[in-house]
Amino acid sequence: MSGPGGEVVGIAVLSLKVALIATVVACLLGIPLGFFLGWTRFAGRRVLLALLNTALALPTVVIGLLIYLLLARRGPLGALGMLYTWQAIVVAEVVLALPIATALSAAAIQAVDPRVRRTALTLGAGTLRTAWTVAREARFALLAGVVVAFGRVLSEVGAALMVGGNVRHETRTLTTAITLATSQGDFGLAVALGLILLGLALTVSVVIQLLQGHGDV
Amino acid sequence: MATFEVAALRQEFGGRTALALASLEVREGARLAVVGPNGAGKSTLLRLLAFVDTPVSGTIALEGRRVASAAERRAARRRVTMVEQRPYLFRGTVLGNVAYGLHSRGVPRSEAGERAAEALARLRIREFAGRDTRALSEGEIQRVAVARALAVEPVALLLDEPVSGADRAAQHALFEALAEEQSRRPLTIVFASHLLEDAYRWADDLLALHQGRASPVTPENLFRVDLPGGTPMQIVKVGPLVLQVVTDRQGPATLAIPPEEIVLSTEPLHSSARNVLQGRIVRVAEHGGAMRVTVDAGIELVSLITRQSFEEMGLAVGGSAFASFKSVAVRVF
Repeated sequence: MSGPGGEVVGIAVLSLKVALIATVVACLLGIPLGFFLGWTRFAGRRVLLALLNTALALPTVVIGLLIYLLLARRGPLGALGMLYTWQAIVVAEVVLALPIATALSAAAIQAVDPRVRRTALTLGAGTLRTAWTVAREARFALLAGVVVAFGRVLSEVGAALMVGGNVRHETRTLTTAITLATSQGDFGLAVALGLILLGLALTVSVVIQLLQGHGDV
Repeated sequence: MATFEVAALRQEFGGRTALALASLEVREGARLAVVGPNGAGKSTLLRLLAFVDTPVSGTIALEGRRVASAAERRAARRRVTMVEQRPYLFRGTVLGNVAYGLHSRGVPRSEAGERAAEALARLRIREFAGRDTRALSEGEIQRVAVARALAVEPVALLLDEPVSGADRAAQHALFEALAEEQSRRPLTIVFASHLLEDAYRWADDLLALHQGRASPVTPENLFRVDLPGGTPMQIVKVGPLVLQVVTDRQGPATLAIPPEEIVLSTEPLHSSARNVLQGRIVRVAEHGGAMRVTVDAGIELVSLITRQSFEEMGLAVGGSAFASFKSVAVRVF
């Protein structure tokens, strides 16, 4: 793609790609983890949930810094050469989204009516089917967690800037591009990019709502 | 064979004893009513019999086999089904709900659908099949939940307050359907109720619970009769005896004579009591300062009198006594 229009499209596509991959990875890990925390009772569970809720409020720049130190050339994972790549942004955003996906899933499972489990069991369902039934009854709350996680990574700027480096054509996302445009006084571009970001967020939200409507039989 | 045999069963919640049952045997095909006020331990017992909760101590045997390990409990849950007081229907269609237990048992999809539809038909709600569960009324939910439980053809069905939210017609329909099911195949039914009337009307056996324990104050003097009808004052045969009862009902019914309404005397009483029966005292038990005296007059009648009266009349086991009660004291269910 060439020209400023092409560059903007490239930035939007990268933003979406990074946010989607990060959300999928975070949810693949976080939903089962949250299910486990919301479903089982074990010693230290409350402490874990409290820590998780603290992690929800982790400043993104702190996560950015941690991932930066990990991926820096002299860091423990420096050999991977991932710093200032879009994959590095994905890693940072997975770390950011994981507590959200986990905590909201745990809350969703905990909020399921206790009769669901009993009913499934008494109808002869095994452990797996019972768990699946509980998750099915909680599916809208779980989906809400996915949307929140996606919203968080799509709008995130601090960590993306630190580990991605805002490299043109490589790691420039909508949020980092807006930051740059604003600092350069190019408010027109900043507002345009901002509108694209809003449009993307809205589109995904609508798609998920449609999915909900479809599954809601 | 007994469907359930319970021994020394104990359940606690937060250190408080919710249930302590020395023994209980529920024979195959029985209709056992577990009665008692709210908090008596009825739901606790049902959940233990349904094997969804684990007791603190004690044993439950299902069809002669003790159920203890997790695997045994899992297997037992495929033979026993429970319908909660406020049943939960999963999101989706009524048919999907009724087929759930069959899917859990690995029944192929099409066969499960057919059998679920049959179960709905037995509850006379076949037309509900395609409905969204969220569009159902409380009474409809109840019937769908019973259909869902019967679809898996359990050996025992446990019902927690099955008619609490239903009107009279719905209650009748539910019990009719259950009776039909029992005539179709062997099925043991245990239902909890805080209303004695349900038990009187429908159960053939009764367990009274009070504060988690089997209560010695079981409802007594219950008799199944066939009311001839015709006049309000009816002459009813109870075993070898004939009683006078005031009711406008006709056909099968249950008579209940409250023990405190039965007057005991050593001589026949000349009073307004229309029923005077002579018999022999077979049992005497003291209960909270009162005496429960059982008189065998062809049928066993329990009378509740004060200790003072008991002693003043010189009553004793083996002695003769007259039991008198008014026709209007007889309750008809």
